[in-house]
Amino acid sequence: MRLQVKLAVYNSLTKVAIITLLGFVILFSINKISIKHLQKRLIEKKEKLIANLSNVEIKDLLTKQGKFTDYNLLKEEYIILQKVKSNDKGSRQHFLTSVRIIEGEEQEYQILTSTFSYSGSNYELELGETMASVAQLDHTISIFTFIILLVAVTLTLVADLTFSKFLLNPFYRIIDQKINKVNDPQNFNYQPIPTSTDDFKILDQSISKLMGKMTKLLVTEKEFIANVSHELLTPISIINTKLENLLNKERLSEEGENKLFSCLKSLGRLKSIINSLLLISRVENKQFIKTDIISTRTAVSEVYEELAHRLLMKQLSFTDASREDFQFEGNQSLFHTLLMNMINNAIKYNVDGGSVIVETERNESGFILRISDTGIGMDATMLKAAFDRFEKFDSIQPESHGLGLAIVKSIADFHELILSIDSQKNVGTRVSILFPK
Amino acid sequence: MRVLIVEDEKSLALEMAEFLGKEGYLIEHAWNIKSAEEKIFVNSYDFILLDLGLPGGDGLTLLSQLKSDATRDDAVIILTARGDLNDRIIGLEAGADDYLPKPFSLTELLARIHAITRRRHKLVTNEVSINGFLLDIKNHRVSFGSVSLNLTNKEFEIFNYLVLNKNRVISRINLTEHVWGDILEVNSDSNFVDVHVKNLRKKLAIHTSIEWFETVRSIGYRINL
Repeated sequence: MRLQVKLAVYNSLTKVAIITLLGFVILFSINKISIKHLQKRLIEKKEKLIANLSNVEIKDLLTKQGKFTDYNLLKEEYIILQKVKSNDKGSRQHFLTSVRIIEGEEQEYQILTSTFSYSGSNYELELGETMASVAQLDHTISIFTFIILLVAVTLTLVADLTFSKFLLNPFYRIIDQKINKVNDPQNFNYQPIPTSTDDFKILDQSISKLMGKMTKLLVTEKEFIANVSHELLTPISIINTKLENLLNKERLSEEGENKLFSCLKSLGRLKSIINSLLLISRVENKQFIKTDIISTRTAVSEVYEELAHRLLMKQLSFTDASREDFQFEGNQSLFHTLLMNMINNAIKYNVDGGSVIVETERNESGFILRISDTGIGMDATMLKAAFDRFEKFDSIQPESHGLGLAIVKSIADFHELILSIDSQKNVGTRVSILFPK
Repeated sequence: MRVLIVEDEKSLALEMAEFLGKEGYLIEHAWNIKSAEEKIFVNSYDFILLDLGLPGGDGLTLLSQLKSDATRDDAVIILTARGDLNDRIIGLEAGADDYLPKPFSLTELLARIHAITRRRHKLVTNEVSINGFLLDIKNHRVSFGSVSLNLTNKEFEIFNYLVLNKNRVISRINLTEHVWGDILEVNSDSNFVDVHVKNLRKKLAIHTSIEWFETVRSIGYRINL
């Protein structure tokens, strides 16, 4: 869950909790207050009633039924007065909430029961007042609280989402522009993302600093490789020429000659490694121009021509099943090297009598050029490290120095092409180059 | 022919001198920009083998100075460890006849010198004869007597290179690099050149015995004369 959503949900939940609690407190206290008011009114009524009582009235009231009952039209209040036989002197009173049935109508009443003496007789007076108004108040307050709750939560959620989106916007921009979109630290944009949030400023600065360090390291590494490789070429030249001249001497034994050639061969390998590293380093440093218009079909057929003899040697069949041609801007000789290495790999790691197939496909992500072979294949571990430098897995190819796919990778990166490789041991390998739209 | 080697690596320069000396070239050395300038503007040479990174300056300046003099037509081959594509282009644009990145093979250097010689001086003898075969270097043709051999381009180049470097063992790698150029990783398995040599030998052997075309086991090939 995104921080933005989490914050909004958290805020809403706390608000729900607070408002609910508040609602209950208000409900409870309003209930209490209403009952208190009711009771106060009942006492006032009782006192008024007693004060207005006279002998005549009591007699009048009681003689009729022995018990006097009265209620108003809507049965909101009632009164019961009856004579009780009690030895108690003085007046007592208590409240109670109870259901009474008046003329078949059941209602909850707040009831005040009190006894008093009047001219030597004890009377019990019961005054009741309906609780309906209290219940109604409770109801109204509940609804009101609920509506406030709903409105508050909605408003909070919307406001929080909007605000946190606004607040976190620089954060996502930093992630996107300073981390996700950075393919090459050397092209890193050090322009800070505008934000007033200090935390994000710190994040931005830290990433920039880190990138600075990385770029420095990368540049140093690249320079190191370039310099070392370059410095190595002169001594190799010297050894190479010395060995060649030595070979021209008449007095050499066959064994001596063989050893010298073996030295030259190793030297050739060394030279090849250095040149490969130099090429990778130059491609990575973008020391090539990308202004040639390259046609994939022409490029494939050129490479085929150069490699035809190798296909023959291994009796491999070569099928160019490409359905369409694709043209793009790039560096012709580098792309040639890329294809050369790819197709050469398909030949080198193939089995005698196998086949090499070139196919094309166009889908929503772009144009795909695919080279498949029926060779020895790779397993998952090999596949993972396939594009690493100096990675070679089999002892069948002792002369390979394992830089072929690293060269392919650097050239593909330089042209912003996406390479993917899938392979199955003893079935074959398929390498795809995607030319994104 | 006079050759000036402008190279500050003494042992490399001396090896080149030894090799070319045996081929009949007259060698002079210049070890830095200053001595190179002195020599170049006093004498004229058929070939100047020019290293770019020299003590005291850049070989390219020397080249442009030389090329600005219309009276001079010394052939210049740049020999450098700066294998940069841009350097190559700049060098050739500045008027160099060829560009050979270090490390190079001496036999390759010789082949380049020959190629330039043929190109520039329009040699009368653009044909080389060997044991009854006639190599027409200009038109890439080989004939035996009046019969023309049907060689592929690669086969011709191999034959030509071996003839040029006769009496020397030419390793497979050397041959591969000469014929196919330096395709890095791809060249690491150089045995495939054998197929071409096999075909070439077959085509030659139809006409005459070719025991002078020797296969040196596990190394390469040699044409003995």
